[in-house]
Amino acid sequence: MNDQNSGRGLLTIPVNKHSESAAHKIAQDLPIYSSRRFLRVISISGLTVACIIITVLALTVGSVEIPFKTVWQILISHLPFVNLHVGWSSTADMIITGIRLPRILMAGAVGIALGTAGATYQGLFRNPLADPYLIGVAQGAALGAVVGFVLPWTFGGSYLIPILAFLGAVAAVSIVYLIARVGKTLPMTTLILAGVAIGSLLMSITAYLTMISANKVHSILSWLMGNFSNSSWDQLKLISPYIAIGLGVIFLYARPLNVMQLDEEQAQQLGINVERTKIILLAAATLITAVAVCFVGTIGFVGIIVPHIVRLIWGPDHRLLLPLSAIAGAILLILADTASRTLMAPSEIPVGVITAFVGAPFFLFLLRRKKKAVF
Amino acid sequence: MKIFRLFVVATVIGLLGLTGCSKASSQQNPSSATYTDDIGRIVQIQGVPQRIISLSPSNTEMVYALGLQDKLVGVTSYDNYPPDVKNKTVVSDYSTTDIEKIVNAKPDLVLADNIHKNDAVPALEKLGITVYTITADNIDMFFNDLKVLGQITGKTKEADNLVSNLKSRIQAVADKTAKLTDPQRPRVLFVTWHDPIWTAGSETMIQYLINQAGGSNIASDLKGYVTITLETAIQRNPQVIIVMSSMGTQYTSLDFIKSNDQFKSTDALKNGQIYEIDADIFGRTTPRIVDGLETLAKLLHPELFK
Amino acid sequence: MAKLEIQNITLDYGQHPVIKDLSFQLQHSELLGLVGPNGCGKTSIIKSLSRVLSPTSGRILLDGKELTGISRNELARLIGVVPQNPYLPETFTVFEVVILGRNPHLGLLSGESSNDMAIVWQAMERAGITHLAKRRIGELSGGEKQRVTIARVLAQEPQVILLDEPTANLDICHQLDIMDLIKSLCMEKNIAGLIAIHDLNIAAQYCTRIIMLKNGQTHAEGTPREVVTAENIREVFRTNSTVHTHPENNLPVVLLNTSYKRLTVESGDWDKHANTEQ
Repeated sequence: MNDQNSGRGLLTIPVNKHSESAAHKIAQDLPIYSSRRFLRVISISGLTVACIIITVLALTVGSVEIPFKTVWQILISHLPFVNLHVGWSSTADMIITGIRLPRILMAGAVGIALGTAGATYQGLFRNPLADPYLIGVAQGAALGAVVGFVLPWTFGGSYLIPILAFLGAVAAVSIVYLIARVGKTLPMTTLILAGVAIGSLLMSITAYLTMISANKVHSILSWLMGNFSNSSWDQLKLISPYIAIGLGVIFLYARPLNVMQLDEEQAQQLGINVERTKIILLAAATLITAVAVCFVGTIGFVGIIVPHIVRLIWGPDHRLLLPLSAIAGAILLILADTASRTLMAPSEIPVGVITAFVGAPFFLFLLRRKKKAVF
Repeated sequence: MKIFRLFVVATVIGLLGLTGCSKASSQQNPSSATYTDDIGRIVQIQGVPQRIISLSPSNTEMVYALGLQDKLVGVTSYDNYPPDVKNKTVVSDYSTTDIEKIVNAKPDLVLADNIHKNDAVPALEKLGITVYTITADNIDMFFNDLKVLGQITGKTKEADNLVSNLKSRIQAVADKTAKLTDPQRPRVLFVTWHDPIWTAGSETMIQYLINQAGGSNIASDLKGYVTITLETAIQRNPQVIIVMSSMGTQYTSLDFIKSNDQFKSTDALKNGQIYEIDADIFGRTTPRIVDGLETLAKLLHPELFK
Repeated sequence: MAKLEIQNITLDYGQHPVIKDLSFQLQHSELLGLVGPNGCGKTSIIKSLSRVLSPTSGRILLDGKELTGISRNELARLIGVVPQNPYLPETFTVFEVVILGRNPHLGLLSGESSNDMAIVWQAMERAGITHLAKRRIGELSGGEKQRVTIARVLAQEPQVILLDEPTANLDICHQLDIMDLIKSLCMEKNIAGLIAIHDLNIAAQYCTRIIMLKNGQTHAEGTPREVVTAENIREVFRTNSTVHTHPENNLPVVLLNTSYKRLTVESGDWDKHANTEQ
């Protein structure tokens, strides 16, 4: 108990009006604060609307010609309480709702996961080169999938590969984590090094297994390059809850992630439980990446570049960076997938090739325009 | 502020549920039969398929061999035999299947291959399309596949005729070669690719063909389709080298072997016994395999087969 | 009651002890200086006070409560730390960095209110960096970055401020600016300030009390006049010096006695005059 008013520090209330308005003016220039919430909301909902529009447009293109109007009618007819006279074939309906829609939504979901995970990893490691595959997710998933391809017996039907891929991803990251952990702390540089080492080891095992199973090489390569051609509603229903939960957890920690852009000591002194934050964010980001990758393969480029693009336009505050990376990731991947299945129909260009083609020039363009440091 | 973020997530999830999902409906048709395909899937087929799609060149050849070409509504871009196939609609690549085009063709039977096991097959089944996977590892499985395909498509007579015809042709070759002793069987090196050298060991169709044709596979101690080192290949001194044609490449396996200095020391090159054969015939499991066998027999034993 | 009470703490750095059985108190409105040779544990003490490092024995009390019993967030509201060489993200603007100081006052789900903004502004005014508000950290000089960190700490509205060598990389003008700022904060706003500093003159000029450490323990404690003496300096720093009195404020001023012999500089005569006494 203090006998004197030890003062709440230097800036006791009331705060003067001048400060408020001065601060307000400065805040206008920062996307996260300008008009306090208005621009921020516009960014997020604006981008969401763009994503929805792109989704609908993507639904209208494909290797089978279906007129725009028909697409619309099919979509609307599936809304509850709508009764539309059916003037189209059931095949068209199946193509739109059974093939294209789940595929596009899958691309969107994976884009959301990879974009968010990439932004989270970059914030956690404070490293612009970080991506969701940094500490072994991709290599673990690849090994799991290849093991599934090579196994002489099967279980779980068509879920064998995804399950093994998921388990491989999680196991790899867990091993890396256990190696890097020192007592109660998790040094980030050790984590990266352990991730690189374990990743290389897993890759070599994968390469060996691929080599000795000559007749499966095709399927393995196809999986490794990633594609959405066999997406279904089942898969989507399976991964959505995990991605939603992971996203929710990550968004909760958006502001603490800002504080962690200072070094760990300062963050701790500012009240952040650094070790707990690290583990929770790592776990959530790894979970959504593993889930995204296990059905469609390891699609590169999205996780590393999308957060940079968002950062260049909207700044480094994670409260905007995380949701916008999610939506931007979805947009990029939906666009890439649409291109991959239409440009050379009926053949498909691997979607990872398209993401690089689309994303890299745009990123370079932004870089040149802004002419300032990116990270 | 957080509310809007939750809103975004909710929108996404909402979009998923909103448009619902189309379920594949299965009907119990009294005139349906159940088969187990080559990858162990139980396939139910109603009636006699009228619209067939083939997802691999070998399946296409089998379809033609059974006289079902009129019912063939979709082929892959790699299909090239028989020549009439050019007039058929291409619905897919060999490795990437275009699900949309397949669905649009409204097939009641899709014949898939082993490489589609993990992706196209489950994807098509989820959309309610009947898929039967054919992948024959040996000649007996292949004959069985022909017979089952005949059953499925109501061409049992054609299938039986085809199988017995093929069997008798094989027998004709075997009659002459079965009594050959080891020294009489030329040592054969079968090259499917040259960088590194890929060959066929035991438990492959190729080895079966070599044996039937009266040869001795120098890689018979290896199992399956494997690589073999240059030294081993040369040390075993093949007397005949059979090279598969390389698709579309400028520098073929044949070029490589012919120009390779070390190979020049083998009996095969000294005697000019190096031949290129059509990869389409030997690489696919189709009725033309027997053509291949006859060709191979003539190459190995010109004195027995005129 | 003392704001901060340190009772018999022992601190280890790795395996060997750095601070042994140290006790002292920190009061409101005073600026306490910690001086001592390199590696004497000044930084470790500051880390233990902000609970980054745990003492292997002894207690630390804040307002009479054990430090370990205070939640991390609560502690951040009470104690602010200006570390030595703090890392600042290059692409953040100054405003965005300073506003991070409000973190302990915000709940997990809330954003900054306009009150928070105003506090940030006032913190920046106090630290003299309002003209830099929209600039990115990457564009600032060392002195400016130091002020940004101080502003960030001010935005925390702490009752205790710990500073670790805040003037280490600054030129004279900036050194005095920062020290003026710190001193005035302590005096005007009742803040308890603890500063680890190697410059004895600055410590003497600004600190109300000084603790001189040697071998992990208190060698001398008291006012600058009492502590900054030639004898203490020789015993603790093993250096000879002359301590004069500042003509304007009677505080001790340390003058250096070098043992380097002066030369008459004529080119080529290096060796000949090397040992010549002047």
